[in-house]
Amino acid sequence: MVNLRRTIRREMWYILFLVPGVLLFTFAVIVPFATGIRYSFTNWDGISRKLTYIGWDNYVNALQDPDLWTVLGNTFKYAIMLTLLVNAISLLFALLLDSYLPLRNLFRTIFFLPSVISVVLAGFIWSYNYSQGFPRLLSYLGLDMTSPLGNPDHALIGLVIIAVWQGVGAPMIIYIAGLQGIPSELTESARIDGAGPFRVFRSVTLPLLAPSVTINMLLVLTGSLKVFDLVLVTTNGGPGFATEVIATFIYKNAFNSYKAGYGMALSLIFFVILVIVTVVQVSIFRKREVEM
Amino acid sequence: MKSKRMFVFIAVSIAALIFLFPLYVALLMALKSAKQTFESFYALPPSLDLANFVHAWDTSKFPTAFLNSVIVTTISVALILIVSALSGYAIARGNKPLYSFFFLLFLSGMMVPFQVTMLPLYQLGKSLGLLNNHWGMMLIYGGFGVQSGVLFFTGFVRGISREIEEAARIDGCSTPGIFVRIIMPLLKPVTATVLVLNALYIWNDFLLPLLYLQKKEYRTIPLQQYFFFGQYSSDLNLAFAYAVMGLIPIIIFFLFMQRFIVKGIAAGAIKG
Repeated sequence: MVNLRRTIRREMWYILFLVPGVLLFTFAVIVPFATGIRYSFTNWDGISRKLTYIGWDNYVNALQDPDLWTVLGNTFKYAIMLTLLVNAISLLFALLLDSYLPLRNLFRTIFFLPSVISVVLAGFIWSYNYSQGFPRLLSYLGLDMTSPLGNPDHALIGLVIIAVWQGVGAPMIIYIAGLQGIPSELTESARIDGAGPFRVFRSVTLPLLAPSVTINMLLVLTGSLKVFDLVLVTTNGGPGFATEVIATFIYKNAFNSYKAGYGMALSLIFFVILVIVTVVQVSIFRKREVEM
Repeated sequence: MKSKRMFVFIAVSIAALIFLFPLYVALLMALKSAKQTFESFYALPPSLDLANFVHAWDTSKFPTAFLNSVIVTTISVALILIVSALSGYAIARGNKPLYSFFFLLFLSGMMVPFQVTMLPLYQLGKSLGLLNNHWGMMLIYGGFGVQSGVLFFTGFVRGISREIEEAARIDGCSTPGIFVRIIMPLLKPVTATVLVLNALYIWNDFLLPLLYLQKKEYRTIPLQQYFFFGQYSSDLNLAFAYAVMGLIPIIIFFLFMQRFIVKGIAAGAIKG
């Protein structure tokens, strides 16, 4: 009897402990998410008080909107380039800095440093370097360079380079942590068996690093699909439509073009895409982890 | 073998210089006048002249923006820590389907991109009078941070043995007493992780301030920087002085908290 009463009292406290978290979460995520779904079925302009329900029209229009497909193309091009580059470079840095290299802590700090800068600043610094800093440096070598951000063919790559500079820090740390979890006896015995460094990496290190690869691929891919600030502060979607990505496209529809209902439909399509990408990616990588 | 290591060292050094180069150019700009920049772009300034910094400080309301960033970041992070520690503890110890449900709910919230909630949050803020002040932002950062925070704290509390708690309970300690006296002191490492990850994110965030703050006196550093660059795009040396000023606090924070940042990211990868 005493025990039961004590259990009830304990549970009551646990419920009370949970209340503030659930309230904050409801305020910041659940309520806006639910209202967002509601708006997406209206032709609301974002200002007026009247909501007119138009059923699935926004979704139908969105899927027929050629702009959406261009924007999604840009977004995926950017995200795939970034994911591959960031993972390759951060893994390379991690491998080099996990070995006995002098000053390796200094190097880790330097490679991580750009990650702590706000995207606004990074965009500003790089815009200037693209237009002034690099061209002057290259002119010493007799090379001509104009800012890639002004050229529709190169603008997206220009953004990817900035994002790589800012993005390798965290994955590098995750890879270093993963590498430190690999018992050195395994790599040593492979080496004694006559495997070269490349063979050791491919047959021993990489398979054991698979969980780190999964998480880094996932974090960078989902993060880069959501890219917003970098585009807004450097190119604002231009030149032309070259760097317009889904996040800036939604923002402009919802806030600048007075098509709030349409913007919300776009953002929910984006949400579904993100969920699909995440589920597919996790299942592919998890399967591979088991096989190896 | 030795020459190979030398080669790697040189290659990594070159990569490091490439990484630092954009920052070097920014620093040069901040320290030189327009005339000096025109005469020799890459040279260090002939003497250390902080005129740009003084001018930027005077024209930009930097102290206001700095204070705003400090207020928003500190209170939001404190909120996240308290609330996620409480929720995480309840979920880890409650052991009921109800708590697993909330755990999954917090987890699934992380899938929702900001763009989906952006416009509704703006509407919500407007109707509740939360635009143009810091309160709404703190609550929203709290709601975002609590998702991953709960994940970290739940995982950590599950690793703490229940026996000490049971002993305290037999001695007559209540659940809040156990939380404050026994659990809280043990939470230090995970608290540091959640603290640095959220502090970095909130300090640098541009999106929510852009949405919520139109009035100059409430702007945080990234937002103020954004407008300052637009305004002084013709006086780049001044704009860069402002940029470098904005860099200093976060770099100092990073250098002090580096150990925790590294640990936090590594722990986050394993938990996530």
